[in-house]
Amino acid sequence: MAHKTPPGSSASHVSCLDLWREKNDQLVRQAKVAQDSSLPLRRQQLAQDALEGLKGLLCSLRGLPATVSVLPLELTVICNFITLRASLAQGFAEELAQDIQQGLERVLETQGQPEARPEHGLRGLWDSALRASSLLPELLPALHHLAGLQAALWLTTNRLGDLTLLLQTLTVSQSRASEDVLPLLKTWRPPVEESDAPLTLQDARGLRDVLLTAFAYRQGLQELITGSLPKALSSLHEAASGLCPRSLLVQVYTALGTCLRKMGSPQRALLYLVAALKEGSTWGPPLLEASRLYQQLGNIAAEIESLELLVEALSITRIPEARQLLIEVELLLPRPDPASPLHCGTQSQAKCLLASRCLQTGRAADAAEHYLDLLALLLHGSEPKFSPPPCPPGPCMPELFLEAAAALIQAGRAQDALTVCEELLNRTSFLLPKRPRLWEDARRRTKESPHCSPWVSATHLLQGQAWVQLGAQKEAISEYSRCLELLFQATPKDEEQGNQDASYHLLHTLRRLDRRDEATALWRRLEAQTELLPENTAWSLPLYLETCLGWIRPPDRETLREEFQTSGDL
Amino acid sequence: MAGPRPRVEYLAGFCCPLGGLAAGKPRVLCHGAEIFLSTGSELVYVYDREGRLLIAVYKFPGQVWHLELLTLRRVLYVLCARSGIYCLSLDQTTRSVTQDEDGGDDQDSEDGQVSEPPVPVIPVDPDSCVLPDTSLHAFTVLDDALVTLALGPTQWKMQLFERPSPGEDPRPGGQIGEVELSTCTPPAESQGESVAPRFLPVLCCASPPGSRTPLGHSWSSGGVTLEGALFGLLFGADAALLESPVVLCGLPDGQLCCVIVKTLVTSTSAPGDPKALVKILHHLEEPVVFIGALRTEPLAEDVEDVHCDCLVALGHHGRTLAIKASWDEAGHLVPELREYSIPGPVLCAACDRSSRVYHSTSAGLRVVDLAQEGSPLDPMEHDGAPGSLPALLYPDSLGVCSLATLCVSSGEPEGGAELLALSAKGRLMICHLDPHNEAPQPSRVTSAKAGQKIKQLLSGIGTVSERVSSLKKAVDQRDKALTCLNEVMNVSCALLSSREGPRPISCTISTAWSRLQLQDVLMATCLLENSSSFSLDRGWALCVQVLRSSRALDLDSAGSAITYTIPVDQLGPGGRREVTLPLGPGEDGALDLPVTVSCALFYSLREVVGRALAPRDPFKDPPSAEDTPVVLPEQDGVCLPLSEHTVDMLQGLRFPSLGVPHTEALGPAKDPIHTFLGTCRMPGSQPAGPESLRAKYLPPSVATIKVSAELLRAALGDSHAGMSLGCATLQWLLTENPAADIVKAQALSSVQGVAPDGTDVHLIIREVTVTDLCPAGPIQATEIQVESSSLANMCRAHHAIVRRLQRLVVEQAARGSSPPDLRLQYLHQMQANHETLLREVQMLRDRLCTEDEASSCATAQRLLQVYRRLRSPSLLLL
Repeated sequence: MAHKTPPGSSASHVSCLDLWREKNDQLVRQAKVAQDSSLPLRRQQLAQDALEGLKGLLCSLRGLPATVSVLPLELTVICNFITLRASLAQGFAEELAQDIQQGLERVLETQGQPEARPEHGLRGLWDSALRASSLLPELLPALHHLAGLQAALWLTTNRLGDLTLLLQTLTVSQSRASEDVLPLLKTWRPPVEESDAPLTLQDARGLRDVLLTAFAYRQGLQELITGSLPKALSSLHEAASGLCPRSLLVQVYTALGTCLRKMGSPQRALLYLVAALKEGSTWGPPLLEASRLYQQLGNIAAEIESLELLVEALSITRIPEARQLLIEVELLLPRPDPASPLHCGTQSQAKCLLASRCLQTGRAADAAEHYLDLLALLLHGSEPKFSPPPCPPGPCMPELFLEAAAALIQAGRAQDALTVCEELLNRTSFLLPKRPRLWEDARRRTKESPHCSPWVSATHLLQGQAWVQLGAQKEAISEYSRCLELLFQATPKDEEQGNQDASYHLLHTLRRLDRRDEATALWRRLEAQTELLPENTAWSLPLYLETCLGWIRPPDRETLREEFQTSGDL
Repeated sequence: MAGPRPRVEYLAGFCCPLGGLAAGKPRVLCHGAEIFLSTGSELVYVYDREGRLLIAVYKFPGQVWHLELLTLRRVLYVLCARSGIYCLSLDQTTRSVTQDEDGGDDQDSEDGQVSEPPVPVIPVDPDSCVLPDTSLHAFTVLDDALVTLALGPTQWKMQLFERPSPGEDPRPGGQIGEVELSTCTPPAESQGESVAPRFLPVLCCASPPGSRTPLGHSWSSGGVTLEGALFGLLFGADAALLESPVVLCGLPDGQLCCVIVKTLVTSTSAPGDPKALVKILHHLEEPVVFIGALRTEPLAEDVEDVHCDCLVALGHHGRTLAIKASWDEAGHLVPELREYSIPGPVLCAACDRSSRVYHSTSAGLRVVDLAQEGSPLDPMEHDGAPGSLPALLYPDSLGVCSLATLCVSSGEPEGGAELLALSAKGRLMICHLDPHNEAPQPSRVTSAKAGQKIKQLLSGIGTVSERVSSLKKAVDQRDKALTCLNEVMNVSCALLSSREGPRPISCTISTAWSRLQLQDVLMATCLLENSSSFSLDRGWALCVQVLRSSRALDLDSAGSAITYTIPVDQLGPGGRREVTLPLGPGEDGALDLPVTVSCALFYSLREVVGRALAPRDPFKDPPSAEDTPVVLPEQDGVCLPLSEHTVDMLQGLRFPSLGVPHTEALGPAKDPIHTFLGTCRMPGSQPAGPESLRAKYLPPSVATIKVSAELLRAALGDSHAGMSLGCATLQWLLTENPAADIVKAQALSSVQGVAPDGTDVHLIIREVTVTDLCPAGPIQATEIQVESSSLANMCRAHHAIVRRLQRLVVEQAARGSSPPDLRLQYLHQMQANHETLLREVQMLRDRLCTEDEASSCATAQRLLQVYRRLRSPSLLLL
């Protein structure tokens, strides 16, 4: 091993090592100063400088052949570098894996195994390095710390297989091997660093606790989504009992509430939701969950109240606390997913939900007010506060306008409904066909499928309905005709159902106006269509059409049909 | 059609690094008489256009990457690399004017290269940093919000902040929204933190026509108002209904996407969903350098607001995208999208209020017009089918030198445009473009005008001289490239014309075993000799292709080829260069002989000529691979084949029993433990392992070939006189093997060798007599027998022998030696026997495909027997 001794006498070597150690300690202290700084810019610059310093230090350490005496320092510097870098960038970059790999290769280099089976990748390297380090106990604390960071990296990239194997290797002396990460994490005891060891930003045990909480929460959430509820319950309990920051605790309690609701224990679920509300500054998720719970219980008043509170809660902009320069639990959580049960959306989304629930539960006047508020917020509010719901493709603003109009009609405010519809058509006028075709012309060329949006015809339908409410039959007829014209233009089969309902309504109005010839002609065409269609096909309509059809469908159709069957052949 | 000739007005020179300013980061903005300018360094200059003097210089802690001006609020936002966004109040800058009035008038004294501006440099107060974030790469300002683009670990992240004002405390809580754009290609270097990216993302803010929150900045800052139809078509009904501004974003990977600002909201728990929020409009497949919008159709007389009807994006290599809204025959709105290619690399670009896009390449400033040319815009026609985009673009040179950045400033008379530009050499100038391009009218010149005129001429000369120097550089490079090409032609002709006889440049290939670390490796040595009168200069490379045969037992796998490319750095006439390459065994311990080694000379045109053929970009300091223009595809070059050599089993055999140096066959002992065990084995003990077991318990595979003695004697000729035919034959077979000399010295006629994988191969030469074949009597023949415990190695050796004999027979036939009379009956009989055997082989193989495991084993046994019979033909080579 003579060739591996760094150049220079041993005395200068020791002093050099001391120098580097001192540099590491100084940089760690600098990062801690940065963390305590209240000025964001200064904080960022100090931390960035510390990061650059650690990187430089690492470069100098790597410039020499690996020796057992220097390696603990080198591994500690790598750990500090990764910790600072990941917390500054709020994520683990791909290069960090390379830093870990390089550290492990250096460990193996001291063992005279410079080329340790690279085909097994990082996992193989870990195996070899941990095996080698069993001969070198002085390396163990730093190596366990690095393993903690590796575990964090694999946790965030969802490489649970690798994570399990790593933990099994780490805990092999402490217990019998388990297959699950959670018990493995619990039994893993990183060796305590000696008091004279180089300073670290975060110690290995603290990192272990963070990993434990993050993993338990991730797993619990996953199990909640996949529906293995009892497992989810126990994982979430585990997360709540660990080192859990307050903001996360709100989420854990809410998830427990969701879980218990789904398991059919609404009362226990409520207890957790109350606990979540007491816990912290983010009230959104528990309030949304509470509204779901009340909806399930059929308590509409409480549900609506929860939603109202949710809207209020979401109007408060929360200033996020400055992140610590450590690996925190939040850093290891899955990316927030709009499809997650804990996602509570934005204020406008909540308002939208509130309004639609009001409309669905027959509180038309409230619904109308909420819709008008929402439109005012979106169109005139200076701050952007609207985010479309993530699921449906295509535009959703027009639907919002239409729901508002439907709610207004339902609430007996036809004139306001007309205004809303007109506003919608005005604002989208340039998207409509430039040269509207004549009725006959359109019928002849049904092959063409113009992509005139269905909501345009729905707007005319609602306008017609509003005119009916105002008693202006002529205007109503012209709107209905326009609606039909557009629908017949866009005539794929799937539009038939809504189409028919509108047609029946037109028929009804024509009859009331005593325009018998036109009514009979329309009747014949409808009869012909009906024969082609299976009756009562399952059909899910947008809320605005659902509301609209609530007014016309049940009484009119059958009576009309009977009337025409008896008298239509005149 | 000549474009409008600009009148160029030189304002000032700013210091720039050697080799000129790199495009992408310098910025120039104009607000009234004030010009704000950054050259990509740490400084931001404020220049007074009317007073023609520098007002202020601000020094930032890092490189300045972007400037934005919010004219209504009179603030300047500055993006400083790896630091964040700073906010300066313009009222403060004007205040400092009064103090520094006396300085900076004569700073453009000589050649405009101002090394130290006379105006004091004001270090920027760290407190004016309103958004500290080291990962920011671009931003744009809305009236009340700030849109930023930051580079995360794997993705670009767009964030929306409440617009901070100067003097306000930086509020990290001011973030309104956030969304991640699709994956970015992270910088290749992991040390990317310290290296500035070459291309920054480009942002452009588009507003709908009736927007109630008008964009508070001037045209130069990149905000555009789009016509309703185009806006609705591009961004959808939601954006139109919300009347929300939209941020268009062009990324360095070529992606062009958009985000509706009003929908960009972060709830407390989740950033926006990219699928719902980010719409990808197009992909240019090259770094986006500019996004803008323009008006291709003339406006009605009385319209005041200019609403653009065409969106334009330019890529670095000249790919240009234009999108317009048009109506199909049914009257429905459809997008009209066209891609053009204009000569690149595009360094910077700008649009004016008309249909023109000004862009600068390294060759100078050019303009393209996106109005449909030649179509008289008849209002009737226009109403039905709006003028569509032109099919092709014709860039028109404006005769202005290459620019690092430019902007269109307002305030010119109707139809005219005024470009504010910073040249690559750091000169700030104004180009007045007159669309009518009137011929200069002779007019009486007053003395005051004359001074003005002279100044214009001088600045004109300045830009011309700058162009001349860049053109001259290009010409030099072309000359050099042509000289290189000429030499390449000479070498190629010399090589290709000498089909017969020794070639002027040759490559001989030989093989030998040598020991690398713990493993024996068969090495091929290629000796390149230049006996021509030309020298092989830089750019030439020796390509050695090693083509392995497919695995004997794996018929489907194609042979694998490895190509080694070794640069030939200066090989003068008479020079030699030796290259040694390992052939195997590889990591798996196998060496599949035969291996074909072919050598060729390759000259990369891309390397030498490619750079000179395209207009070179003088703005880039080190030319990097990605800059190479699209003129030549990746592999283009001149390839001259030199020689080909097949290394077969007979060359790969080693003979430890003969004591040839370097041939103690250690085998492919990869694992040191095996090596250790192998060396520890007691003498006389049995080797372990499947190979040796097979050798012990299975009879060796055998193949024989009979050759008439007469044929062999004639072929071997005199060189082998004086020794037995058996020994001569063996020596001939092993000619390319180092053992040939020992065979000769010891007069051996049989020899025990070791194959690369360590199994034995036995070669035995016997002299036999064949009686039945020839009516004239018995024929003396030589029987070559190959024996090996490994079937595969036996086959390889057999194949190698047959190959040599084939060549020998062909050579002899060419010499016209005639075989003796044969008994045809006997031959027919043998042929019939063989055909029966072959048919049986076919039948057995067919059966193997259909049978189950148990019976297929028997079939395989039978197949092996038939093969063995086939391998020992009683046929004789004559």
